[in-house]
Amino acid sequence: MTTERGRRIDLGSVLVVEDNLEDAEAIERALRHTHPELRPEFTTRGDGLLEMLLAREALPGLVLLDLNMPGPDGHEVLAELRSRPELDDVTVVVFTSSTSPAEVDACYAAGADSYVYKPVNFTLFRTVLKGAIDYWQASRGAASHAPPVPRQQSSEA
Amino acid sequence: MTTANSRIDGIDASWPARLHSLWLAAQDVENVEEMARHVYAAMLAEDDVLAVTGSRWEGDRLRYLRVATTARSTTTTTTGAGTAAGRPVPPPEPGRAAARPLVHHHDLDAGTEGFAPEGRALAEAGAHFALESRFRLGENDWASYSVGLAERPRDAAVLTAMTARLVQLSEVLVASNRRIVEAREHERRLIEDAFLAEASLQMDASLDVQETLSRVARLAVPAVAEGCAVHLFADLGGLAPVASAHVAADVQPWLADLARDDPWFADLVDRAVRSGECVVLSGEELDGAPFGPHTDGPGQPVNAVSVSPLRARGKALGTLTFIYHRGEDAVAGTRLLDNLARRAALAIDTTTAYEQRRRHVEQLQRHLLPNALPVWPSADLYAAYEVADDSLEVGGDFYDAVVDRDGRLAVVIGDVCGRGAEAAALTGLARHTLRTLLEDGVLPELALQRLNTILLDQGTTRFVTALVAVLTPDGGGACLARVAAAGHPSPLVRRKDGLVEEVRVTGLFLGVLPDTDLQPTSLRLEAGDSLVMFTDGLTEARSASGVFFEDHLPEAVRDCVVEEPETAAGLVARMSAFRATGSDDTAVLVAHVKGTAG
Repeated sequence: MTTERGRRIDLGSVLVVEDNLEDAEAIERALRHTHPELRPEFTTRGDGLLEMLLAREALPGLVLLDLNMPGPDGHEVLAELRSRPELDDVTVVVFTSSTSPAEVDACYAAGADSYVYKPVNFTLFRTVLKGAIDYWQASRGAASHAPPVPRQQSSEA
Repeated sequence: MTTANSRIDGIDASWPARLHSLWLAAQDVENVEEMARHVYAAMLAEDDVLAVTGSRWEGDRLRYLRVATTARSTTTTTTGAGTAAGRPVPPPEPGRAAARPLVHHHDLDAGTEGFAPEGRALAEAGAHFALESRFRLGENDWASYSVGLAERPRDAAVLTAMTARLVQLSEVLVASNRRIVEAREHERRLIEDAFLAEASLQMDASLDVQETLSRVARLAVPAVAEGCAVHLFADLGGLAPVASAHVAADVQPWLADLARDDPWFADLVDRAVRSGECVVLSGEELDGAPFGPHTDGPGQPVNAVSVSPLRARGKALGTLTFIYHRGEDAVAGTRLLDNLARRAALAIDTTTAYEQRRRHVEQLQRHLLPNALPVWPSADLYAAYEVADDSLEVGGDFYDAVVDRDGRLAVVIGDVCGRGAEAAALTGLARHTLRTLLEDGVLPELALQRLNTILLDQGTTRFVTALVAVLTPDGGGACLARVAAAGHPSPLVRRKDGLVEEVRVTGLFLGVLPDTDLQPTSLRLEAGDSLVMFTDGLTEARSASGVFFEDHLPEAVRDCVVEEPETAAGLVARMSAFRATGSDDTAVLVAHVKGTAG
């Protein structure tokens, strides 16, 4: 799959931005079980993330973003990612331990594609992660066979 | 014959080992497809076997067909149309869904009727003869496992041995399937229980209905489904959406619009409320729906919708709807849906009841205190009231002020012991009794004595403390005050120069003994002096080191009681800042003599 601007999207690649090592390990373990075909890549910090992505030839199909991180937090990283049209086709899933309606609204307004609550129980954790990834795989899979729909820029809305 | 025997012996030698390894694999595999590959390989390793097939059926409907041949090591899987009409399946054994496999022999050259679509697939692989094992996996769920041979074995013993092996392999598949189904069911229960536990936690996180439901809806996507909407009966009677969530940000507004405006959706939630049971729609049942497989809403096609009614204490509260983009077979079970709906309904009921009760308490509390204090020419009045904690009980402190028929000002402060409905009722009784008597010009001690009699007549077990002061202007700017107190903390006077004195006034509290032994006292309040009355919540507040605020009260009164609107509130605020323990309600009433000749 190639974006309008010619940058390649690698749907098999998932970038996990998560500072908690236990959570990162749980995500790794869950993905290995439910989506062994995916290649997750992990980073613990949000700073430098944008530059790192822009320097790449192939962009990850999906970014799994924690909200509470030292340095720039998830909200800041999200705003940064969505400020760049080159990254429009990267799906951003916020994966966090809060269900606060205000937090959800803020993330959706800032251009997150999904907001998924991170459960404590591992089996449930795996289930919700699978649910979100399945949805976006099906969605992006369908989109790649259809003419591209221009994405609404949050800055223009 | 010898050759045939030795050949059978040779297979027998390796067969138990192969069968054993299959049984081991059956304990480990995570899905039937993986197990099928092992079993197909076991049979393809046999001499003369050209191809094997596996088909899975739901009643007469073919769910899938898998074919593996010696030429191709991979299996090909097809799903789709096919009918098993007239193909007998072993009936379930008593008390079990599964049954012993039955083996059929097919001469493929004579046609493949009653053996479609496997017969054709095996014939295409060059087979002329097939052994088919049919076995039941569940009530309406059965499978067929077949092997295709170049020709019918001429040796009956070989045929018998192959038949036995087919039965053995089928039994491995049955056992493996049962274990996988049980493991999945177990995992599903674990997930459901974990989800319900987390949902309960979310429901406890807030006492606001809207917020609680938004949190539950968010938790449920994508744990239960991709979309969730909650409707509740509005005050005017109809169902109105209060929360919605979707896993995709760009689909969520669409779902919220549908939940609010779509007539089909409205009919569906009404139907669930009327039936009182969970309604699940999928496939063609979604014809006419705004999100059926054939409509062009945003996001993925919707494969199923479930609506659970929310009921608590026999009352319909609303509905909980889930929108599934995932496959129909992934629709949450009724155990989860009913359980979640029950918990959500209880949380709504509790939260609503709490909000209602808090409103009632606030209303009641307001009625127990005067709306406004009277304006009186010779003195200004200041009052403050602090509820100790966010308790849902009405407190018993009260105060009042009334100008009597001769133009004197009567001020009242009191405290009914305890909290709650009875205390509130007595508070109302005490305040209005005193007010009525004082309006008529009854002396403070007589008014208190009359209240005592009324309380004794009520037969209440609670006692009441109260203080009444009647201020009479002396015509020169000062006031004469007559003060009577029944078991109530003595008031303080703050003189204009800052000196603070206690007004010693004694008497027994009310509602216990006929004789209250009230000893009224009189004093003169000059212009600029203040009479400071309060309940024991003020004096009994304690600091962390155990000191009572009473010890600091003269100083606090000297500093705080100055001629400004916040006088009484300032005193209460100072006490609040001091208090570490003790959480009684507190009322403060201050009468400040202005010095206007009246």
